[in-house]
Amino acid sequence: MKKMLYSITSLVTLACILSGCTKLDETVYDQVLQDNFHPTEGDVPSIIAPVYTILRPMEASWYGNFDLQEEPADAIVTPARPNGWYDGGVYQRMHKHEWNQTQGQPNQLWSNCYQGINTANRVLYQIDAGLVPITTGKEAIIAELKAARAFYYYNLLDNHGNVPIVTDFKDASLPKQSTRQQVYDFVVKEFLDAIPALSDKVDQTTYGRFNKWAAKSILAKVYLNAGVYTGTPQWDKCIEQCNDIIASNKYIIEPLYKTSYKTDNNTSKEIVFAIPYDEIQATQMNIHMKTLDPVMQKVYSMSAQPWGGNCAVPQFIDTYDPDDTRLKDTWIMGPQYVAGTTTLAINFIENVDGIALAGSNQGYRVGKYEIKMGARGALSTDYPIERYADILMMKAECLLRQGKAAEAATLVTQVRQRAFSTTSPAKATVTGADLVKGSVYNYGLWAGGRVSGTGGGADIQYGRFLDELGWEFAAEGRRRQDMIRFGIYTTKQWFNHVSSGANKTIFPIPEGELTKNGNLKQNPGY
Amino acid sequence: MRKPLHLPGKQLLFPLFLLFSMIFFYHPVLAQTDTKTITGTVRNQTDEPLDGATISAKGTTVSTLSDAKGNFSIRVPARARTLVVSYVGQEPIEVSIEGQNNVNVSFKSAGNTLNDVVVVGYGTQKKTEVTSAISSVKSESFTKGFARDPGQLIQGKVAGIAIGTISGNPNANTQISLRGVSSVLAGTSPLILIDGIPGSLNSVAPEDIESIDVLKDGSAAAIYGTRGTNGVILITTVKRRGGSRPPTIAYSGYFSYQQIAKRMEFLTADDYRRLISQGVKGFNQNLDPTKGGYSTVAGTNDDYGANTDWFKQVTQEPLSHTHNLTLQGGTGQTNYTASLNYRDWEGIFKRSNNHQVTARLDVNHSMWDGKLKFNANIINRTRKYFSGPDYNWIYRQALIRNPTEPVYTNTGAWYERDVYMYVNPLRLIQEVSGETRVQDMRISGSAILSPIKDLNFKVLFAENKANTLTGYAETFNYSSTNGRRGYASRSEGLDRDDLLEITGDYTKNINDHHFTVLGGYSYQYVVSEGFNANNSNFPTDQYTYNRLQAGDALTMQNAAVGMNSNKNDSKLIGFFGRINYNFRSKYLVMASLRHEGSSRYGANYKYGDFPGVSLGWRINNEEFMKSVTFVNDLKLRGGYGVTGTNPVSSYQSLVILSYGSRFLYNGNWIQQIAPSSNPNPDLRWERKQELNLGVDFSLFKSRISGSIDLYRRVTKDMLYNYSVPTPPYLFSTILANVGSMENKGLEILVNAAPVQTKNFDWNSNLTFSTNKNKLVTLSNTLFQTSLNYFTAGGTGEPIQTYTHRVYIGQPIGLFYGWKSIDIAADSTWIIQGADGKPKSVKNGNETDKQILGNGIPKYIAGWNNTFRYKNWDLSINLRGAFGFKILNLQKMYYANPKINQYNMLKSAFDPVYNKTPIYTDLAYVSYYIEPGDYVKIDNVSLGYALPLKNNKYIKTARIYVAGLNLYTITNYTGVDPELNTQGFSPGVDERDKYPTTRTFTIGANLSF
Repeated sequence: MKKMLYSITSLVTLACILSGCTKLDETVYDQVLQDNFHPTEGDVPSIIAPVYTILRPMEASWYGNFDLQEEPADAIVTPARPNGWYDGGVYQRMHKHEWNQTQGQPNQLWSNCYQGINTANRVLYQIDAGLVPITTGKEAIIAELKAARAFYYYNLLDNHGNVPIVTDFKDASLPKQSTRQQVYDFVVKEFLDAIPALSDKVDQTTYGRFNKWAAKSILAKVYLNAGVYTGTPQWDKCIEQCNDIIASNKYIIEPLYKTSYKTDNNTSKEIVFAIPYDEIQATQMNIHMKTLDPVMQKVYSMSAQPWGGNCAVPQFIDTYDPDDTRLKDTWIMGPQYVAGTTTLAINFIENVDGIALAGSNQGYRVGKYEIKMGARGALSTDYPIERYADILMMKAECLLRQGKAAEAATLVTQVRQRAFSTTSPAKATVTGADLVKGSVYNYGLWAGGRVSGTGGGADIQYGRFLDELGWEFAAEGRRRQDMIRFGIYTTKQWFNHVSSGANKTIFPIPEGELTKNGNLKQNPGY
Repeated sequence: MRKPLHLPGKQLLFPLFLLFSMIFFYHPVLAQTDTKTITGTVRNQTDEPLDGATISAKGTTVSTLSDAKGNFSIRVPARARTLVVSYVGQEPIEVSIEGQNNVNVSFKSAGNTLNDVVVVGYGTQKKTEVTSAISSVKSESFTKGFARDPGQLIQGKVAGIAIGTISGNPNANTQISLRGVSSVLAGTSPLILIDGIPGSLNSVAPEDIESIDVLKDGSAAAIYGTRGTNGVILITTVKRRGGSRPPTIAYSGYFSYQQIAKRMEFLTADDYRRLISQGVKGFNQNLDPTKGGYSTVAGTNDDYGANTDWFKQVTQEPLSHTHNLTLQGGTGQTNYTASLNYRDWEGIFKRSNNHQVTARLDVNHSMWDGKLKFNANIINRTRKYFSGPDYNWIYRQALIRNPTEPVYTNTGAWYERDVYMYVNPLRLIQEVSGETRVQDMRISGSAILSPIKDLNFKVLFAENKANTLTGYAETFNYSSTNGRRGYASRSEGLDRDDLLEITGDYTKNINDHHFTVLGGYSYQYVVSEGFNANNSNFPTDQYTYNRLQAGDALTMQNAAVGMNSNKNDSKLIGFFGRINYNFRSKYLVMASLRHEGSSRYGANYKYGDFPGVSLGWRINNEEFMKSVTFVNDLKLRGGYGVTGTNPVSSYQSLVILSYGSRFLYNGNWIQQIAPSSNPNPDLRWERKQELNLGVDFSLFKSRISGSIDLYRRVTKDMLYNYSVPTPPYLFSTILANVGSMENKGLEILVNAAPVQTKNFDWNSNLTFSTNKNKLVTLSNTLFQTSLNYFTAGGTGEPIQTYTHRVYIGQPIGLFYGWKSIDIAADSTWIIQGADGKPKSVKNGNETDKQILGNGIPKYIAGWNNTFRYKNWDLSINLRGAFGFKILNLQKMYYANPKINQYNMLKSAFDPVYNKTPIYTDLAYVSYYIEPGDYVKIDNVSLGYALPLKNNKYIKTARIYVAGLNLYTITNYTGVDPELNTQGFSPGVDERDKYPTTRTFTIGANLSF
C-alpha cells in the first residue's frame, strides 16, 4: 500500500516540477526593474536629475539648510507657541547652541549632502562605464556633475568641517575622514577643474543648474570664508571670481528688491544660482508654512493652514533704519486683515516674550518670499542661493578687509540704493568710514521687551558691514556663516542665547554615522 | 458528523468507524422479523437536545440519527439488548433497552473534554492524541449575542491569545496577537484558514461557525511554514451531520443597542459661564485686558451664547439587527448546507453603519461506496458602509469644542471660529458622502479518492476574490479653510488569492503500532491591483463622486487632483509531510516538515525548511495508573517547531528604479529616475524556533480537565531596516535579516463542571497566560544599529515627542519620558532629574527621561461560567488584563486649563498630587501614565428554552438577552482600558478614536 502512496506522491511531485509549479518568479507590474531599464540619450536629463532634486529638501524645506543657518543665529527664532513648537526642545537647542550629535537639522544636512554626492558619484560612474549613452556634450555634463558634487562638499565643509571625501561609486570600503583643510582643497580644486567646461549661458537651459557663473559664485563664497575654514584668508582669489562674474555682464541689481523673491522670480536677472521650486511639481518650499500663524490662511486665502512657528528676533528688527524698505519687504508686521475685508485676523507685534513661550501674534514673520493670494502648502518661489548683490557684497567685504574701505563703500552703496530710493535716497550712501564702524545690533539678553546685560555691537570689527549683510540677506539662510566670519557667533548674546563655546562653529558628526563608520572621529568639543 | 474538508490525520471519523463496526458485527442470522421500536431523546450535559447523534443497536446493522430536537425512533430486532449512541467529540454511550421502549441519553461530560476532536493542519486529531499546543473552542462555548467577528467569539477563552476589541466602529475587527510580539516588521496577524482556505476574520459570519481551533506552538504551526509564526486560526463552518434525515431549518437573530463604554466628563456651557464669571485664568468674555480672565492667546475660551452638547450632536441611538438562516438537508450520498446571514448595523456616531449579506452553500456528494467524495463550497459576502468621515477626528472635535458655541449661525451656516485644528464636528459628518462596497467571493472545490481502506488522496482548489469600490465626496460647504469647491474621489481594488493543494494520507495499524502519514503540495498565488482618481473644484456638488470629470482641478492645476494605479503579485509554494505514530495510545510521536518558498524572498533564499516535532506520553494508559481511578487522562507532551514570516510586501529584494521627483530641465519639470532603495538579494524569512512543554489532564470523570503549557519562542533573522554607511550603500538603511526576539510564557486552561444535576448545571472555564518578551539583538557583524534603542510612538501636537523606547535587551512596549513626582507652587511639574533629584520640568531635558512602565499586559485571564437551571441558561464571562500601564493622552491634553483654546475635562481643575491643579505647558510626564489593570464583566447572557412539547412546526426555541462589554472594574480614568497592545507603542489611549461601546442584545434561536 505504501508503494502505491509513494508512487502517486512522486508522480504528483514530478508533474509539478515539470509543469513549473515550483517556479517562484515575481511579475513586476508597477515598477521598473534596473535590469529592464535600457537608457537612451533622451533619458539623460532624468538620470542626472536626482543630483539636483535633493537640493529642494536640503534647502528651503522642513529641517532644511534655511533652518540650520538661521535658527542658531541672531535674526530668527522659533519660540514655543500656544499651539506647540516645543518639539522636544529642538529649536531651543538650536537657539542656545546646545545641540549634540543627534540634533535633527545638522544631521539632515549631512545625509542630504551625501545623498547628492552618492548620486553624483553613481551617475559619473554610469557615464564613465558607458551605461549612459551620451554622444555630445559629455565633458560639460561631467563638469556640471562635479560642480554640483563640489557644492555639496562646500556645505559639509561649512557645517561639519571634517568629513570623508568619496568620489568613487564602486569603492565599497568604509570612507576615511578628511580634515577641513583637505575638504577645502578638494572643493576649490573641483570647482577650478569644472569651471572651464561649464556652460556660460544664462537662460532657461542652465537655470537652477551649475553654469560657469553659479560655480564661480560658490567658489567665491568658499574663498570668502577660507580664513574660517583653513586659517588663511583668500580675499584676492574671492575678488578674482567676483570680478569674472561682474565682467560677464550677465547679471544686474534688479531695481526692485522684491523681484528676486516673487512667485516667478526665475525671471530675476539678479539671481546667479537658485533652487527651483513649484507649488505643484516641486513642493518642498514651505518657509511660509513654518513662519505664518494659522490664522494667516484667511489673509492669503490659502488652501493650506500654516503651522505658525518662527519669527524675527526683536533685537534684529531694531537694527533697521526705518526708511529701509527691506524691513517691510522682508518681514510681515502689524495688523493683518482677512482677504478682501477689513476684519482683523491678527496683529503681529515685535516683542517676543521668550523662547519658552510666545503668544501666537508675537514676532514679525518671514514675508520675503512672496505668498500670493490662494497660496498652497508650498510656494512656487525659487530659493536664491547666490544673487548678484552678494557678488558685489563679497567683493566689497574683501576690499574692506584689505583696507580699501572707500572702494567697498561704493559697492555697498550700489546695493543699498534701491532700499532707500522711495523713502530717503540720501541714506543709501555709505562711506568707508561708516563701514569700519561697529554694529548697531544691541547684543545682550532679551527679556520683557528690554535688552539686559553688557554687550552691544560697537566692538565688532567691521560690524557695520555685518549689519549691511543682515539687512540685505535677512532670512536667506546664511546668517550663521556671516556671524562666524565676523567672529561673534559664539561670543555674543542675543534674545535667549548666551555665549557658547568656540567649538560650536561646526556641527558634530551625526551619531549614526560615527557608529556605522569606525573611521570617523567626532569633531572637537562634542 | 462533520464532513472532513481536510483529510483526517491518523484519526478515523466516527461514521466510518461505525460503518466498519457494523460490517464486522454483521451476521446473516440477524435478519429476523421480530422487531420493536425504541424512541428517545439525546441531550448534552446542559440538557440541550443533540441533533445528528448516531443511535445504533449493538450487534446489528440498524442505525438512525437524532433530529434537531434530539428525538429518535429506531426499529431494532427484538433480541437487541443495547443501544450505542455516539456523537461527535464524545465517547459513545451504551444504554440497555431491555424491557424499555423509551430511553433518554445524556452526554454528561463537560465541554472541551479530552474526548473532543480538534482540527489540526490538514486534518483532524483526537484531543487525547494531540502532542502540540492546540486550543479548540466549540460553538456552544462561543460568546453569546452580538459578535463582530470570530475573534470576539473566543475572547477570553483561549489561553495565550490576546484578543482586543479596541474600537467601537461597526466595521472594525478584533485585534489578535498570539504569545507576545515575535517580529518587528513582519506583522503579528495570525494565519486564518476557513475550512482550510486562507481568508480573513470577516470572511465568514460568526453565526455560521461550528468551531475555532488555534495552533499555538511551533510544532503544530510548522506545517504552515512561512505563515505559521503568529499562530494559525482554523475556522470550521457549520456542516451537515450524518446521513439520511429530514431537512432542517435553523434561524437565529438578534437586535442590539449600543452606547459608549464610558462618556468622558467635559465642561458644559454652564461650567463655562461659571468659570468666566469667576474670572478663572483663560476664560474670558471679550478679550478685555482689564478683565480677570484676560489672555493674549488667540482662541481663548469665551462665551458664545449657546448650550450645545457636542457629543450628543454627533452621536445617535444605534439599533442593529442580525439574522441568520441555515438550511440543511440531503441523503446519505448527497447533502447540503445553505446559510444566509444578514447584518444591518449602526454605530454610535451619526451615519456610521455596516450592512452585510453573507451567503454560503456547501454541497457534499459521495459515490462508489464512499470511495470518491466531492465537496463544493461558495461563500459570497457583500458589504456596504458609509465611508465618509474620519470618526476618530470627529470624536476629538466633539470633545474639544466649546459648548457655548452654537452648531449653526443665525443664517443657518455652520458655526466656525478660527482656532488651530478646530472644526465643527457635525459639519464633518453632514457635508460628505461616501460609500464603500466590498464583494468577497470565495469558491472552493475538492475531491477525495479513497481507493482502499485508510488511504485518501485529495485535491483542493480555491479561488478567493475581493472587490472593493469606494466613493467619497465633499460638498462645497465642507470646509471654510481649504478654499476649494468640492472634492470627490473614487477607488477600486481587486485582490485575488488562488490556492491549489494536493494531499494524500494513509493510516495503518500493525499490532500496537499506529501510523498515519500525510504528504502534500500547496501552491498559492496572490495578486492585488487597484486604481483611484480624485478631482476637485466642481461646478456643483450634486454629482458627489459620480462624475469626476466635471471637476476643474486637472486643468487649473491649483487644487487637489490625482490618480494612481498599482498592481503586484506573489507566490507561495510548499511541499509538506507529516508522520503521526503511537504505540498503544501511550507513546505519541508527530513529526512534520514543510519545504516552502516565496517569490518575495531574495534570489539567494527562495526556499526554506520548517520542521516540527512533538512527543507525548499518556501516563494514564500505563499499567501503574490503572489503580488511580480519579485520573481519566494525563498526558505529558513536548514539541519543537520552526516557522517563518512572509515579508509584508512584494519586490523588496529586487533593484527597482523609480520615476518621481521633478527636475526643472530647460523650463519643463521632468521626472527623475533613480533607485529607490538598497536591494538585498539575501532577504529571507524570519525563523522562529519554539519549544513547548505541556500537560493535558482530565480528572474525576472529566469533571475537571485542562492543560498547562510552557513555551519559549525565539525569532531569529528578524527583519529590520538597518543603518548602513553611505557609500558604499546608496541609501542609509537596508532591509535585512539580523535581529532576534524572545518570548517566554505560561498558559493555563482549566475546565470544571462543579455541579451536574438533572435540573442544575454549572460549567466553568478558566484561562490564564503570561508572556515575557525581550528584544535580544538588532545587530551582527555586518549591520549595526547606531543606538541601543529606537524610539516609537508619538504624543501628537502640540507636545510632539515620542512616547516609547524599544531597547535592545528589554521588552517591547516601554514608555519613556519624564517621571513627574510633584507639583510646584506655580502649578508646574516637578520631575525627577537624571541625578535622581527633583527639578522643574522647565529645565527638563532628554537625559532626565526614564522608563515609565510597559503598555503590554503581563497577565491575561478569562473566567467563563455557564449555568443551567431547567430551561433557563445563564452565562457570565469575565476577562481581565493585569500588570501594564496606559498613557492617557486624553487626560494629558484635556486636563490642563492652560490650553484654553479647547474644551477640557472637568477634572482639569482637580488638585494634582493632592496639592494644586495643574496650569502649565503641556508635557509628557508620568502623571498621565496610569495602571491599566482591569476586569471586565464582558459577556452576560440569560436564555430560556421554550417548552415546545410536540409542536408541529417549531422544534426548538430559545430566547435570550445578552450584554457585551457590560462593566469594567478598573482604576483607569479613560474610556476603556482595553487598548492596542500591538506594535511598538502599545498602551496609548489616543485622543482620536472611535470609542468602544457597551452592547445590549435580545435574540432568538429557532429550529424547524
